[in-house]
Amino acid sequence: MLDRLPLPSQFDRVIMVGGAIVGLAFAPVLIALVVLLVVDQISAPELVFWLAFTLIVAGALGAVLLGNVVHAAMSLVVTLLGVSAIYLLLGQEFLALAQILVYGGGVTILLVFGLMMTNAADDPVVSDGSQKPFAAGVAILLGVIFAAGLLDASWGDSGATAISLQQFGARLFDGFVLPFIIVGVLLDVALSGALLLARPDRPEPTSEEAGR
Amino acid sequence: MIPLENFLLLSAILFALGFYGVLARRSAILILMSVELMLAAVSINMVAFAAYLDPERFTGLIFTLFIIAIAAAEVGLALGIVLRVFRERRTAMVDEASSLKW
Repeated sequence: MLDRLPLPSQFDRVIMVGGAIVGLAFAPVLIALVVLLVVDQISAPELVFWLAFTLIVAGALGAVLLGNVVHAAMSLVVTLLGVSAIYLLLGQEFLALAQILVYGGGVTILLVFGLMMTNAADDPVVSDGSQKPFAAGVAILLGVIFAAGLLDASWGDSGATAISLQQFGARLFDGFVLPFIIVGVLLDVALSGALLLARPDRPEPTSEEAGR
Repeated sequence: MIPLENFLLLSAILFALGFYGVLARRSAILILMSVELMLAAVSINMVAFAAYLDPERFTGLIFTLFIIAIAAAEVGLALGIVLRVFRERRTAMVDEASSLKW
């Protein structure tokens, strides 16, 4: 039933219901983490990490499992904002800001526009492909292999070092000027190409115009 | 202090979820969203490695910035293609655009 919430005229209702569900679901996690913090089992950064961890994984689950495409897109926003919290936790303020601006703003809006003009125009609820069990098996296998490989190695026990905006800019424009320019050209070409592709076809010239 | 392994675990989970989405979804735009999840997973990995293991040169951070820019270009272009396909065939499902499947 939740999949059939009306769109987009009552978009605020979607957000309210979604927010209430998310809040109720995360209240136990938050309480458990705060209790752990109070009894000194975890430090404050770890509290933030596990909160962001829960948000990211839950948002990603919603983004790949929800049937309603717009709800899936909203769920993706939760994940991307959680990733930005992870960047902040690692001391990378510039990347966190860029993440919120580019992903939380631009990319998500683009995706929602795309959904509105394709799927959601007919029916916001889509069914997944028939290869779901296969996909789940492969994804679990891949995740286990990656996790095992990454956790198996010993990485030393140094902490995260915050990198200031000045350092970041100096490094970017000192060693990576050419890639920076190439990325700028790439963005220009890609977005012009997207405009060209998505533009409606020109109507055929009428005989009057052709004879002119 | 948070051990580096926590971030690696998070990125592995996120990557696997995105991979599941790419394989299981039928709508082209939902597949794009899953690709974004995988890109975010790789970015977390690179940022964590840069901040923990290479704080002098932090090349991983620069790469993450490029990933963000290129992901934006990719989404814009792919949406243009999806809209085009939708206009021609009235569908945005990847398994219904099967002219090349013989």
